[in-house]
Amino acid sequence: MRFKVAIVLLLMILSTTISTANPGGKGDSVRSRDCAGSCHGSSSTNGSSGAELDIQYHNEVYAGLLTEVTTSVSFAEVSSNNMVGLTLLVNSDGAKDLPANDGWEIVTDPNGGTNNYVEIVDAFTIESMVTQTWTLRAPSNPGQYSLYLAIQHGSPGGGIAMTGISDSKPITISEVPENLPRLSEDWEPVNSRGLGEETEITLQTVNTDTATVELQSGGEIITIPVIDDKFTIPAAVNPGTVQWRVILEGEGPTQTSPWFRLNAVEPGWEVDEFALYIQAFALFILCVGLVLVRRPNSSDSVENKYDNTSEVNSQFGQIQQPIIESPSQETSPPPLPAGGLPPGWTMEQWEYYGHEYSGDSQTGGHL
Amino acid sequence: MISAGTFHVISTELTVGMFALAGIAFLLCALQKGPESREAVAHWALLGGLIATPLAIISGVNSVSGEGIDNPMLANKMLLSMTSAGLAVGVLLRKKWGASVDLRHSSIGMVSVALMLTTAGIGGEYSRGETLLLFIPKETVLLFPVWASIAIMILGLAIVGKSTVQHRS
Repeated sequence: MRFKVAIVLLLMILSTTISTANPGGKGDSVRSRDCAGSCHGSSSTNGSSGAELDIQYHNEVYAGLLTEVTTSVSFAEVSSNNMVGLTLLVNSDGAKDLPANDGWEIVTDPNGGTNNYVEIVDAFTIESMVTQTWTLRAPSNPGQYSLYLAIQHGSPGGGIAMTGISDSKPITISEVPENLPRLSEDWEPVNSRGLGEETEITLQTVNTDTATVELQSGGEIITIPVIDDKFTIPAAVNPGTVQWRVILEGEGPTQTSPWFRLNAVEPGWEVDEFALYIQAFALFILCVGLVLVRRPNSSDSVENKYDNTSEVNSQFGQIQQPIIESPSQETSPPPLPAGGLPPGWTMEQWEYYGHEYSGDSQTGGHL
Repeated sequence: MISAGTFHVISTELTVGMFALAGIAFLLCALQKGPESREAVAHWALLGGLIATPLAIISGVNSVSGEGIDNPMLANKMLLSMTSAGLAVGVLLRKKWGASVDLRHSSIGMVSVALMLTTAGIGGEYSRGETLLLFIPKETVLLFPVWASIAIMILGLAIVGKSTVQHRS
């Protein structure tokens, strides 16, 4: 029997297949390459992605200023859900590879967040190229830096986690010219807003005489005036994203900022948390009470086929009955008559038959 | 150190495993089948799961990316887990006070286990968008007014108090 069980278990183990981890993604986050999208998968079971990865950026990147980086994915054969995880990194070692380790700040990721790992669902095919735009704040120290783009996705047949990383993309960070019109280093863009509400944005500029905002909604570009460093983006009716950028003019060369994305999202679900906590505690107390409402007592004892206590007691009682009765017969003999033992009686006879003699004497009878 | 998300996975697996074991043992108790140790296993496993439950709740709250309870499934998880915990505490107190493990007692234990496993199922739907429990509410929360919750709480406290007094007498 044990041998058969061992054979069955062995067959079950041999029939297992390697499965990919997190086929539905894990959500955008700040992640190192080691853990970007495939934390539960052993690296030995991963496949090598055949996708071609590229990073493009502007020629002039100034220290501490915003810049736009475009990443592209080509020739990617992905799983049926068309999901790809993209990670922006500063080395390929798998350790201390976050952009923040080199002083980069991700101001806007392709999904409108501030993460270095994003999950993109798009038409990834062997013939297509999908591009994404990131807005970064460059490190504050000029010098040579590198960026990498890593990718994780499933295989067309499923079952294998595919990973890959681009070649190093060197970037030269330059000193900021003294008179360069630019956005202040302290200024942060707004990334999201609710539906149906206008968004007023206040710019903080340096060395800038005039600023003009270009708003891209769909395929159309609208120019919005900036008054007292403020401009307003019209309200959105439906969830979606609009892009805008600012053109800064001053004594130095005219600068154009990266495209900033503003996501319009539906209002989130809200609940009165106090009422929820009170209700949860009330349900807890009520359930405790409902279980205890029927007090346990002796009638609760369930009939057990192994419990023969009553039968044993009954039989024991029957056995005890004669034993109990016999002492009554052996009760102490009646007191001797005034004249001592009746004539011819022995003491043993008196102990047994003395009661009858005494009864007869009281009723007048006599032997 | 480990993140709250990882600790939540550990504490959740501990809770669900213990409750699942208790559920199987309670089923054997209800059927009056299996080893005599089924009653002890059911109640000790239920106690173990109950002890691990607060750890799972606290680590779960800390591992949520948003602020507060911003999803109906999180609200339902809280209501279901507290209901399950209430039933489990009642079952354990009833056993401690000398009740026999009859069909009714076992059934309440199994309901408690079912509610806790449903809570875990909602967690799978929330974190991964997948669960075997297709019927769980994803957008609906039955929330009482505060006055109704307070009334229920007073009623529950009265019942618990009365049961305690009767037990001591």
